[in-house]
Amino acid sequence: MVKLSRYFLVVIAVIGFAIVIPKFYWMAFEKPIRSPFIMWSCIDNDFMITRSGDGLKRTSRNLEKIGETLTREEYEQKLPFLYVRQLLMNGTMPDSINGVDIDTHDISQRRTTFRVRPKEIHSPLPTLYPLFESQSRRANLEMPKDFFRITWRMEFIDAESNKINEEKSRMFSAVLYKRGFKFPAKSINGLPTTRKSCDEGYLVIDSKDQLFHVKMIEAKPFVEKVKIPNGLKFKFIKCVDFNTKLFYAYLFSTDNHLYILTQYDYELIKFPIENINPELNEIKIYGDLFNFNIISVGVGFLKSDILDRDYKLVDQYSETWEVIDEQIEGKVAKFLFPAEIKMTNKKSDFIKFNVETNKPFNWLILSSILAIIHFIILKRGKDKLTKHVIDLGIIALTGIFGFIAVNIFPNKFYD
Amino acid sequence: MWKSVAYKEWLKIRWFFILSTIFGVLAVGYIFLKVQYDFKFNDPNNYWYVLLFMKVKYFSILKFVPLIIGFAVSVTQYFPETVDKRIKLTFHLPINENKILLIMMLFGTACLLASSTLLTLIFYVLSTIYFPVDIIIPALISITPWLLSGFAIYYLVAFIILEPMWKYRLFYLVFASAIFPIFLESSIAGGFAPVNMSLAVLVIGLSISLLFSGYRFRKGEQ
Repeated sequence: MVKLSRYFLVVIAVIGFAIVIPKFYWMAFEKPIRSPFIMWSCIDNDFMITRSGDGLKRTSRNLEKIGETLTREEYEQKLPFLYVRQLLMNGTMPDSINGVDIDTHDISQRRTTFRVRPKEIHSPLPTLYPLFESQSRRANLEMPKDFFRITWRMEFIDAESNKINEEKSRMFSAVLYKRGFKFPAKSINGLPTTRKSCDEGYLVIDSKDQLFHVKMIEAKPFVEKVKIPNGLKFKFIKCVDFNTKLFYAYLFSTDNHLYILTQYDYELIKFPIENINPELNEIKIYGDLFNFNIISVGVGFLKSDILDRDYKLVDQYSETWEVIDEQIEGKVAKFLFPAEIKMTNKKSDFIKFNVETNKPFNWLILSSILAIIHFIILKRGKDKLTKHVIDLGIIALTGIFGFIAVNIFPNKFYD
Repeated sequence: MWKSVAYKEWLKIRWFFILSTIFGVLAVGYIFLKVQYDFKFNDPNNYWYVLLFMKVKYFSILKFVPLIIGFAVSVTQYFPETVDKRIKLTFHLPINENKILLIMMLFGTACLLASSTLLTLIFYVLSTIYFPVDIIIPALISITPWLLSGFAIYYLVAFIILEPMWKYRLFYLVFASAIFPIFLESSIAGGFAPVNMSLAVLVIGLSISLLFSGYRFRKGEQ
């Protein structure tokens, strides 16, 4: 039993050191990797690139090929929709671009910014949401007194009394049922805030992957089933509140395509781009008078797709860079550690044992050396080697973590 | 015999255990005193909104309470045993030495289990007055590792106290420093859902650690 308790301790210590030692290692040696900032210039029809690091470097795809850079002013003039106020202040705002007269009101109406990170998806999501009155005839939205959930029915719970509002729950559940909604909801997607221009309710996916638009108009339910192609499933939907009022949301399908759902006529438009996966990569979408710029930033790569306002592909840019594993610090880590355990993850809000094993078995060199050192120490101590076979095996398999673990819990028994 | 050992343990820890548990109950009471105050001065719907969408945890002051209870019970139960090596008297009882240590550990565990159950029950019952299960379940998921931290610190402190050599006590402290912070990782409500079961297994593994240092103690390691 005592020997067993020691092995329990050794195993737990290996886990603890596999968390702490690599963490300290990376705190000491990790270097920041700065991805470039990519924007599309409707003036040059070229990608504008800003690189930080050893000084700020502004250039474009074409200029970078010949090693040229841009001054700050030149750079800003290439991106008139991003630096509107600066160009107006300098008096360098063009009167027209691509034959279109420029009106600052139009620019601000059409300019949209969107960002989603994997952490938003890998997170404990709420199951209760406020359903705003969409036509309250008030200038500002007001937080409703109750919150809803969609389980075996749609239930409204009054926050003051913490009791279910039966009448309202029955009314909304009945309408959902009549529209063909299959309870419970898989996901409820909306903008649960009063800080938006107006309320457009929620886009809800039911248990059969059907898509519904649910809102409340003058205290009555409004439910619209959205026609989606057979087999199309959405893994993530993010509603937007843009001035353009052209679409309700960006929808990301399970086959890694991007869609928008147009307002009022519920047309699902597919963007002609591949591999848009917000579960793994950060997705940024910039819209302006002429274009959409869809950017995916992942581990060691960036991809930018430019679409025109008819959602046709205009141009593409991609770039890769050295990931941490390819840097000298990453290679050294592979020699030092058989595995690393991270409790937290930049791409998730969940706490879990994220075990990353170092597949190229370079760590076996250090593990073998440590096992030999341990063997020599045992030999000098004139202890029976048979008692230490398991310890040697632990060191061989878990390297530096096991070496420390077996040595802080002395394998000394009197029997 | 086990009843006598349990009674001896109770005599050692009773006041610290009762006081620290009362402290825990007061902490839970304070949480709901604050909740009802916030309900009164802010609209309940706005308060719910803050909990659901602004990632605020109404129960965050509970984080260190189980740790304090576990630490107090462990120190009061095991430290007196090391003064003048009193535990050696216990080892002379006509009962297996490991069994005695396990009875001591199980008694402490039962006390911590009682106090954790009490705190969780009060917390749950009071939560149901103000919140629906959609808010309470993520809260319970989040307090689970904190409750487990109470057990973990109890086993680790016992393990370190019973170790006879200072050098190894320091080593064990390093070990405890590596493993213990896992239980107190910062997270949003419900964030510990994937790991709670693994943490419970880890705590069960730690529970018999005192057998190892207890063995070294009774063998007179110097």
